[in-house]
This record gives sequence, structure tokens and C-alpha cells, in this order.
Amino acid sequence: MESLVINEVKGSPYFPFVHFNAETGVCEIRGESYMEETYKFYEPLIQWINDYVRQNKPLVMHFMLTYFNTNSSRLILDILDVFKKYRENGGHVDVYWHYDTKDPDMVEEIEDFMTESGLKINMVSF
Amino acid sequence: MPVIKEEYQQNCLLTYQGPITVNLVSFLGNYIKSFINYDTKVLVKLFKIYIELTQNVSYYSAETKEVKNGVNCGVGWFTLQEYDDSYRITTGNRILKTDAPKLIQYCNEINVLKEDELRELKRKTRAQAMVRDVGAHIGLIQTSLTSGNKLDFSIEPINRSQSFFIISTQVIKQ
Repeated sequence: MESLVINEVKGSPYFPFVHFNAETGVCEIRGESYMEETYKFYEPLIQWINDYVRQNKPLVMHFMLTYFNTNSSRLILDILDVFKKYRENGGHVDVYWHYDTKDPDMVEEIEDFMTESGLKINMVSF
Repeated sequence: MPVIKEEYQQNCLLTYQGPITVNLVSFLGNYIKSFINYDTKVLVKLFKIYIELTQNVSYYSAETKEVKNGVNCGVGWFTLQEYDDSYRITTGNRILKTDAPKLIQYCNEINVLKEDELRELKRKTRAQAMVRDVGAHIGLIQTSLTSGNKLDFSIEPINRSQSFFIISTQVIKQ
């Protein structure tokens, strides 16, 4: 299985940087997310995660999104649902959400994700 | 497109009228974030509200324009105004007349809810949204949550089939 890397594109800051490492299981999604046709961006990510967890290897996810629109939040929830099911089936997954303390609403957003997905998310401020 | 009313042009920091593409949203959004001498937390809120409201126009305006190779985007306008104690972000776009009643009902429903009720509605609506929908249908809920204020809106008929929808909210200075 190969790693998934989507680099930032200058002039298109509405696409986040993605690095899902197939060797270590450490995954990172960073930047801002408010592209058009959001599912076209996120479905390959969800597919990669589904493929990875079939190997029953541990996974660590770092969300470092400073902004995501409501469309993106729907797809992020789908990623969290995959993690939740993986954990329920005995898989090991840790989720970290790194947030900027200058964002007055991000903690509530993360709390809402936890409530909706039933998955614990470790909050890390910077 | 109807002209932007005078009340939305006073004390204006930024205004735009025309097709709203994601590149335009991004460019002007980054300009908003670059305002110096503004409270960072307020700028974060303004940016988030700006994105949600302008993308609503881009996705749902009943007036569209082809911007490249058969790709259409919504046409409308937005303004960002500054007052002594607050900022106001407003967008305007055409809607189908038949969509007006449910839009009025939706905005009124949002406006009577308290913060915790809004968060619950957001979670419930997001869970029900289909992944391939253009929007997650929670943009206006999120706008109200982020601003901490009510949605001011109006719908005025234009012709037999279309009306003009104006929506606005304010962010209080800290």
C-alpha cells in the first residue's frame, strides 16, 4: 500500500495538505478546507483509510485544519465514523486535533465531532 | 441583478457583485484575514461567516454564469461593513420564488433557537446530509452560531418566478 500525499497548491488555499503514511500509519491533514465538490476531494482519503485499516495496523490521525466549511465538516465526520468502527472492531486508532487558541469556536467544533461520532478526540492547542 | 441598496453600502470595507467562484471567495477571504489592527478572534469569525454566506450564493443562487468550460457558478453580491461596535456581513442573490417559503421557515427556525439548541440542530442536520449534496445544509446554522447573533433576512419578489434573498448577520467587536 502506498502513502497518500496531496501537496498544497499555491493559489488554491482551499485545498488542505494531506500526508497519510502507509509505513507508519501516521496521517496528517493540514490547512484550510472549503473547496467545491468537497466529496471528490475527501472520498479518496476515506478510501485510503478504509484500505489501511483492513491491514489491522495502528493509525494515528492528526487534524491540523485551521478552517473547514460546513461541507467539509460532513466529510470529516465520515472519516471519524470509519475510525469509530475500526476501534469497535478491535483496531487501534488515536485521533488528535490541533487547534489555534485564537480561534474562538474550534473547541466547540471538536466537541460536536466527538458527540456526533462517539469517538474520543485528543485536543492539542497551539 | 438588483443594485445593492444604500443601507448595505454605508461604512463599507469590502463589496463585490458578480459571479462568485471559489477562487474569488478565497482571494477576498484572505484579504479580509489580512486586515491589520483588527482583533484576531473577530477576523476569524468574519472569515468563517464570509465563506459560508458567499458559498451559499455560489451554490444556490438562481442566477448563474458560466465561468469556464461549461462550469457554472452562482451570481450575487456581498458587503462587509464596519460600525462603531460591530461588523456586518451581507449577501444577496436571486432565488426561485417557490423556494422562498421554506427559506423563510428555515431562517425563522434558526433565529428562535438558543446556542445549545442550534448546535444540536447542526449535528442532527449534518448527520442527515448526503455526502454528495452540494452543501451540507448547515451553513446558515453555522453562520448564526459563529456570529452569536440572529440572521437578518428579507425576500422581495423580482418577477413571476424569482425573488431576491438578502441575508445578513453581525459580529460584535471585542
